[in-house]
Amino acid sequence: MSRTERDRRTADRTSASATQERGDGAGGATPPSADAAFTALLEDSAEELYERAPCGYLSTLMDGTVARINGTLLDWLGMTREEVVSRKSFTDLLTVGGRLYYETHVSPLLRLRGEVNGVAMELRQPDGRLPVLVSATVKKGGDGQPLLIRITLFDARDRRAYEAELLRGKLAAEQARVRAEEDRTRLQSALAVLQRSLLPTELPRVPGMEVAAHYHAASRDQLGGDFYDLFPVDGSRWAFFLGDVCGKGPEAAAVTSLVRYTLRAAALHDPTPEAALTTLNTVLHERYTSSDPRYCTAVFGLLRPLPGEGGFEVELASGGHPPALVARRGGEVEALSTPGGLLVGVLPTAGFATARTVLYPGDTVLLHTDGLTEARTGADRALYGDAALRSFTRDQAPTSAPALVDALTDLLHGFGDGLGDDTAVLALGVPAHEADTATAPSPSSRIRRDLRATTGENNQ
Amino acid sequence: MNQLDISTRDTATGPVLEIRGELDYDSAGELRAAVSATEPAAGQVVVLDLGGLTFCDSSGIATFIAARSHALAVGAGIALASVPAHTARVLDVIGLTQVLTVYPDVESATVAHRHDA
Repeated sequence: MSRTERDRRTADRTSASATQERGDGAGGATPPSADAAFTALLEDSAEELYERAPCGYLSTLMDGTVARINGTLLDWLGMTREEVVSRKSFTDLLTVGGRLYYETHVSPLLRLRGEVNGVAMELRQPDGRLPVLVSATVKKGGDGQPLLIRITLFDARDRRAYEAELLRGKLAAEQARVRAEEDRTRLQSALAVLQRSLLPTELPRVPGMEVAAHYHAASRDQLGGDFYDLFPVDGSRWAFFLGDVCGKGPEAAAVTSLVRYTLRAAALHDPTPEAALTTLNTVLHERYTSSDPRYCTAVFGLLRPLPGEGGFEVELASGGHPPALVARRGGEVEALSTPGGLLVGVLPTAGFATARTVLYPGDTVLLHTDGLTEARTGADRALYGDAALRSFTRDQAPTSAPALVDALTDLLHGFGDGLGDDTAVLALGVPAHEADTATAPSPSSRIRRDLRATTGENNQ
Repeated sequence: MNQLDISTRDTATGPVLEIRGELDYDSAGELRAAVSATEPAAGQVVVLDLGGLTFCDSSGIATFIAARSHALAVGAGIALASVPAHTARVLDVIGLTQVLTVYPDVESATVAHRHDA
């Protein structure tokens, strides 16, 4: 027998008995008309509806004692009518949490407003608990005195399952978001560590000089290819370099690392700028074949203190790099031009031109990568350019290496998103007076500050 | 975002690649691939027409050198034509004008090559 058939037969029996009950009341034994049978099929009786409704019905006295309860609810509770009516309070049917909630929230609200709607609670069952949605109204007598409370309970298992599913989904999404965020943070800190490995953690103290550097990382997710360094080559001389590897990302960073250590090693054998760049050129050209060519531009310089004058002789060579600028004490700005210096790594043998100058007290030599001059500025996104950089440097006079780097750091910050590429600046200057050296921050503290500034940017 | 647009045509003197748009880290691979796809004969010249180039960074410059290697490998030459002022200045700074011949336009690049040949 199909379920539908069984239901219909049950309904038929019920309607027959209902008709008989009604027939008893109406005093007629006439056969049910077609209309009456139809009506009977639609709804048997108010009593039957109350008993077998698809929700639980319950009436209590004002103190909560159960006065009446329907069959559906008794089935849910797994109890008989005799066990409940007059013996139990509504709150006895609830879980501990539900009972507390009813007494502290629902009951006061009922007394105040006369009704509550859709409160989520749980019924105790012999083998568990049943989530229900509870609505209640207070029935009042003719004199307005509250007589009893009528309560309807809906089975909320499906709804609870749906809500739990939503919560689980939300939790999973949140966990995925947190994991992605953690992965990104881990990647960024790994990149930051790698990036720092490409730069000196601090610049050494060069007696008689002030030095400062700044590195601006354009992206937290992309390694840049700019580099610089400063180191002693013997008892009296110091070598420095600054450059830019073509491209970005891990491949460029690998080349940057190779370049940095090649130049340092080359300087141990022969610290003259042309020799160091020639060694680098050979290494880059041999290491990176035409299938994956890698080039860099670089300035390599050598500092030699001039005895007795407080000045330094600077000798530098450039491989395809923008000229170093010299900011003189009096405000003049000169470019240390090295014509013909070719991008490093392109040709098996390349010649590099050398330039020389002397830094006197108050003079500063400035090296930069082209991220600075290629920055887009203003409404028309025009290139900042070499002329603007020279003019800016001129305006800083009289200046020092730390002051010039500070000014350039502010300038770079001012470019905002117009600064699309990584940028490195390195300044080496002879203090104007001995007194300045005493009051100026030490070179080592300078570089730490600049690196912190870079890290600060990264965290924004 | 301004994309890179490359069209290649074969001429009597060799392939001419017309390059328009922005040549940077993200788009340099396209030019590298387009250059690799050309098959210049020995004695021909590969011309990169940069008249429509609006931006070129170091990755872009690197592709010019890759193009040079590609051409030299088969005994062909390489020439840049209609180089925008900014890129010309960069090529000058990095010394590449020593190894890449620059012409005012495609016509003069191919004519010069015919005279050379």
